[in-house]
Amino acid sequence: MGTVHARSLEPLPVSGPDFGALGEEAELIEVEPEAKQEILENKNVVVQHVHFDGLERTKDDIIMYEICDVFKAKNLIDVMRKSHEAREKLLRLGIFRQVEVLIDTCQGDDALPNGLDVTFEVMELRRLTGSYNTMVGNNEGSMVLGLKLPNIFGRAEKVTFQFSYGTKETSYGLSFFKPQPGHFERNVSLNLYKVTGQFPWSSLRETDRGISTEINFPILKTNHALKWEGVWRELGCLARTASFSVREESGHSLKSSVSHAMVVDSRKSSILPRQGALLKINQELAGYTGGNVSFLKEDFEVQLNRPFLWDSVFSASLWGGMLVPIGDKPSSIADRFYLGGPTSVRGFNMYSIGPQSEGDYLGGEAYWAGGLHLYTPLPFRPGHGGFGDLFRTHFFLNAGNLCNLNYGEGPKAHLRKLAECIRWSYGAGIVLRLGNIARLELNYCIPMGVQSGDRICDGIQFGAGIRFL
Amino acid sequence: MSLAAEAFVTQIAAAEPWPGNAALYQPLKEEQILLSDNAACLAVQAFLQMCSLPVQLVHRANAEYMSPSGKVPFIHVGNQVVSELGPIVQFVKAKGHSLSDGLDEVQKAEMKAYMELVNNKLLTAELYLQWCDDATVQEITHPRYGSPYPWPLNHILAYQKQWEVRRKMKAIGWGCKSFDQVLEDVDQCCQALSQRLGTQLYFFNKKPTELDALVFGHLFTILTTQLISDELSEKVKSYSNLISFCRRIEQHYFEGRAKDATFRLSLIS
Repeated sequence: MGTVHARSLEPLPVSGPDFGALGEEAELIEVEPEAKQEILENKNVVVQHVHFDGLERTKDDIIMYEICDVFKAKNLIDVMRKSHEAREKLLRLGIFRQVEVLIDTCQGDDALPNGLDVTFEVMELRRLTGSYNTMVGNNEGSMVLGLKLPNIFGRAEKVTFQFSYGTKETSYGLSFFKPQPGHFERNVSLNLYKVTGQFPWSSLRETDRGISTEINFPILKTNHALKWEGVWRELGCLARTASFSVREESGHSLKSSVSHAMVVDSRKSSILPRQGALLKINQELAGYTGGNVSFLKEDFEVQLNRPFLWDSVFSASLWGGMLVPIGDKPSSIADRFYLGGPTSVRGFNMYSIGPQSEGDYLGGEAYWAGGLHLYTPLPFRPGHGGFGDLFRTHFFLNAGNLCNLNYGEGPKAHLRKLAECIRWSYGAGIVLRLGNIARLELNYCIPMGVQSGDRICDGIQFGAGIRFL
Repeated sequence: MSLAAEAFVTQIAAAEPWPGNAALYQPLKEEQILLSDNAACLAVQAFLQMCSLPVQLVHRANAEYMSPSGKVPFIHVGNQVVSELGPIVQFVKAKGHSLSDGLDEVQKAEMKAYMELVNNKLLTAELYLQWCDDATVQEITHPRYGSPYPWPLNHILAYQKQWEVRRKMKAIGWGCKSFDQVLEDVDQCCQALSQRLGTQLYFFNKKPTELDALVFGHLFTILTTQLISDELSEKVKSYSNLISFCRRIEQHYFEGRAKDATFRLSLIS
């Protein structure tokens, strides 16, 4: 029996750990037995040894969890498949730059006639990797410095640090991530950060300095995240001309909150899915663990996708949320919901729906938004099978409402309030998928149900974002 | 463009009469406000009283951060927000109310010089006492400044402010002064004020000006605020004409409003 290379089963992922980045088209390539290998398929083999070449600081125990299935293989095809899976798992850990698999007959004194040795040739990522780039936007230029220490203690732990020094603001983030050996989905992370945001639609500047810990774990088909966060928030006016309602919110507050998020996602691609559904439920309770901000916040997101005639996809989504202040303090402008813009209710300007004061949007304590989409390939399919597949045309119908609720009126009154004065819009446009994380849209929108105070974008609207209604 | 536009808006707003719903924002009276802030707030109150412009007092824990300049007090008139005595005097003047119109140029210059003196000596001495004197910082300033906030924000914000004020003190050369030297400065300032006042009712004869409001704000606050030691108020008390000046303004402009319980009007004598 000769040497079988399992090296080129599929193109190597360039960056290693981006296991979630498989597009809908790129499904896992199954190892298909070729004609001459069919003979080997039935032949029983025993994997006697698994060797690792190139391990330096990675601890053995974490490797064991990932490759133990290779020993269970009974025939050669099985060995190849299991080795391939082990390679995928190793790459997913984000600690190796490169993993190659070599399967050979067993050598040595104790070698069985049908014994195989599997050798993983790995190359670990460097102890410290860095990146440096400059960004320009929002009337601000900034320099971003990133440092990453992958596999810092040898068990796939990761420390990342990002520092952004801008002409107006500086921000930074330091995070430590540790997965459970053998269960990469179960992980703990600890974050320390300072971020500054400018929100021109509210004439508001917010600086957050915070610390958070998060535990992620799967239960059956659902992913859960439990999080505690302590944030020192500083609010201020963006300009002297800010409305007095925004000025009144200025100052410092400390939010300590516990939150839980649940995600069920059966879609293969999160940006332009062909089928599958998404359910996201998020709840946050602030105030019981300290701080001077108390509220209960619930929000959800549902999306359903169905293939339709001629490669088109029908998609429906619904968002909703509610913020209940606890105690007699009113809710803060930084906690309330905002709606509108090219990523939610199209045809309206960014976050320019609902309660406002002198042109500054104050957000609302309850909202809902729904959207119906029909995605089709580009007319006449230019660039089919290549670049053109990144594009879709779509027809949409969006609707939504955002308002404040006067607690005490009862749930029926709340529902009636949310059903009054619904903002809606319809139109068509082109969608461009950017990788599997973001998308760009160019739409022609016709806003309807506009209320006084809303800012609309009647006609062409351009949008970019990672979360879309 | 924006500066010109702002000036234009200010002019337009200035042309409108004084509205009935004008409000003066200052920190919480009982548990939060500090010596220097109280002096500044009282000076503005006295000034507006002297101009007979009604304002509603509003106490907010975040008044300092609401203020466009980061300093208390500020007034909210119409849709205009103006902070600190100097800009407020200008703003009120633009609306046609002024206390110093009757003065000639020399007197105006003199008034400005004395106001600078009060700001440079009395205000800085108050800041020194509340942020640089360790006993006062620990017992009064930190607990009061941090009172509206939960732990650990109360300490963080108080230390942040302390650091900021101490850095300013160093920059103006007060960083290495001893408390006795500061008291000496206060004494000199009071002496100058006392000599200028002499036996007159107000600094410029019979009518009060913004200088009177400013001096009243600081001296009245120093005289009536309970601190760890009363060395500061003792210094002021040795000038009897300043004491009677404070009492006069208090009786004339604040007596009627005493029922709203915002002032404890018993001067310690």
